[in-house]
Amino acid sequence: MKIFISIIAYITLAPFLGAILAGVDRKITARMQGRVGPPILQPFYDVLKLMEKESLVVRKSQNFYVVFFLIFIIFTGTLFFSGKDLLLVIFALTLAEIFFVLGGYKASSPYSIIGSQRALIQMMAYEPIIILAAVGMYMVTKSFYITDIISYDKPLFYFLPGLLFAFIYILPMKFSKSPFDLAYSHHAHQELVKGMTTEFSGRSLAMIEVAHWYENILMLGFVGLFFANNILIGVALTLSIYFLIIIIDNTFARVKWEMALMSSWIVGLLFGLGNIIFLFFVLR
Amino acid sequence: MSYLKRSPWVIHYDGTSCNGCDIEVLASLAPRYDLERLGVINTGNPKHADIFLITGSMNDQNREVVQNIYEQMPDPKVVVAIGICATSGGIFSECYNVLGGVNKVLPVDIYVPGCAARPESIIDGVEKALKILEDKKHKLVAMGLGTEILAIEPANIEDAAEILALQKLAYQSEAELYNDFAFPPLMQTLSELKEDFKTIIFFKAVMNGIIIGSVRGYVKDDTCYIYRRIVHPIYQNLGIGKKLMNEIEFHFGFASRFEVFTGHKSKRNINFYERLGYRMFKCEKVNDKRHRVYMEKFADRI
Repeated sequence: MKIFISIIAYITLAPFLGAILAGVDRKITARMQGRVGPPILQPFYDVLKLMEKESLVVRKSQNFYVVFFLIFIIFTGTLFFSGKDLLLVIFALTLAEIFFVLGGYKASSPYSIIGSQRALIQMMAYEPIIILAAVGMYMVTKSFYITDIISYDKPLFYFLPGLLFAFIYILPMKFSKSPFDLAYSHHAHQELVKGMTTEFSGRSLAMIEVAHWYENILMLGFVGLFFANNILIGVALTLSIYFLIIIIDNTFARVKWEMALMSSWIVGLLFGLGNIIFLFFVLR
Repeated sequence: MSYLKRSPWVIHYDGTSCNGCDIEVLASLAPRYDLERLGVINTGNPKHADIFLITGSMNDQNREVVQNIYEQMPDPKVVVAIGICATSGGIFSECYNVLGGVNKVLPVDIYVPGCAARPESIIDGVEKALKILEDKKHKLVAMGLGTEILAIEPANIEDAAEILALQKLAYQSEAELYNDFAFPPLMQTLSELKEDFKTIIFFKAVMNGIIIGSVRGYVKDDTCYIYRRIVHPIYQNLGIGKKLMNEIEFHFGFASRFEVFTGHKSKRNINFYERLGYRMFKCEKVNDKRHRVYMEKFADRI
């Protein structure tokens, strides 16, 4: 019954929370740049407007992939928030992302293809760190189940500070923020128009936006696992990490894909794998 | 309620502007004026945009680019011409390579004059464009829902007076374009038009019981001659002209060749017919002010 409630809560509340977070993000970004900024509810207005617009497609199947992107993101989120296996969550999330990349390839515009290729490179960059984070959590709590991980009596970041750092390092890729907004971004017109989402318009673009809200909440939930033993402190720290990501977004320029890939692997190896090797000797 | 007003995404194209207006467009997005507080995002992608901001005059090289961007934008959409060059060609309008303002190429909804246009007036133009955007949305929704049913049907002699009134209204802009108010469609009398009904097939586009568009044509020697395609000014750019053309081509489907004509300065008409598969084959002088461009299409191309 509890699982059922958490699934319903995620499906209904996550898009609202995600949209409000996106609105707060735009407001804070505007204030950092000395602007007034749009209203907090602006992301809702954007999506509702997109629903009213005509949907132009290059190939019909591109929208089909976007539908599956949304469905699998929701599926992944429900797995996560109902406390299921963390590994399954990671693989389902990868599958969802792959659907999105396929949609970008299917649209066959040069910009969306460049965006899709960069999205694949980004996946190569962040997937090892996400899997290492799951491994680190397993080594501490002896379980891959999220219910067991959150009921562990000490906060996990005591044991996994390196992994937390590596995870924060790759978070801008998942939120598609500078310095890693290579695949698609509102701020890269000259370089790649709108990247993967270039050829999507109207309803399918609205679906992509909603899927991102779900995904952002899921990723913040993942960050929250590091501080899960106290809910209030956990939420506060997770939100402050989100704020940190916004500051990073406004501070750094976009990097090249080589830099994104190499730096995240170096960070993953040094801090992620280093942390796990350290744990291996300490917890033995 | 429509959310178009709350989230207008713009695309900005620089025709042959001196960059004065471009810088003012970007200035209205920058911190001092901050258009984003109204939800405006500069998308750089026509497929995501609602408002097309154009600066600079049109010429033969950027004409196709501008049309391409316009056609990639999903409906509903509005065009805002910013600066005096985009409005009328400005001081460059007499240049041999300048076609004139944006309205020579696209249907412009809002003109923002100025050299350069001030950010305040650009913001005002965008604000006014939002109202038009919403009107267009209502019309599209009404047509989609069937509350305003658009019917294309054959016209008969009782419609002659209404069609004549519409014809005189619709041809005003053409007459202004050539500065020739002795235009045959404007001079036609009711009795002449009634006479036409005996030999020519008329089609009408009816919305809410009012005729808002019409086209006529006849067949001679296996060639279908289509002419006087008219649409009420406020219903233009909603695809009604295309529906009329499709209907009359379907009606005369047995003809092996279709022929249309238009004035040499009416670039938008020429582009419209080119999109329907017509090709130019002849240009004839009518009088000092006006040449007639003839365009044809063969049945196997349909």
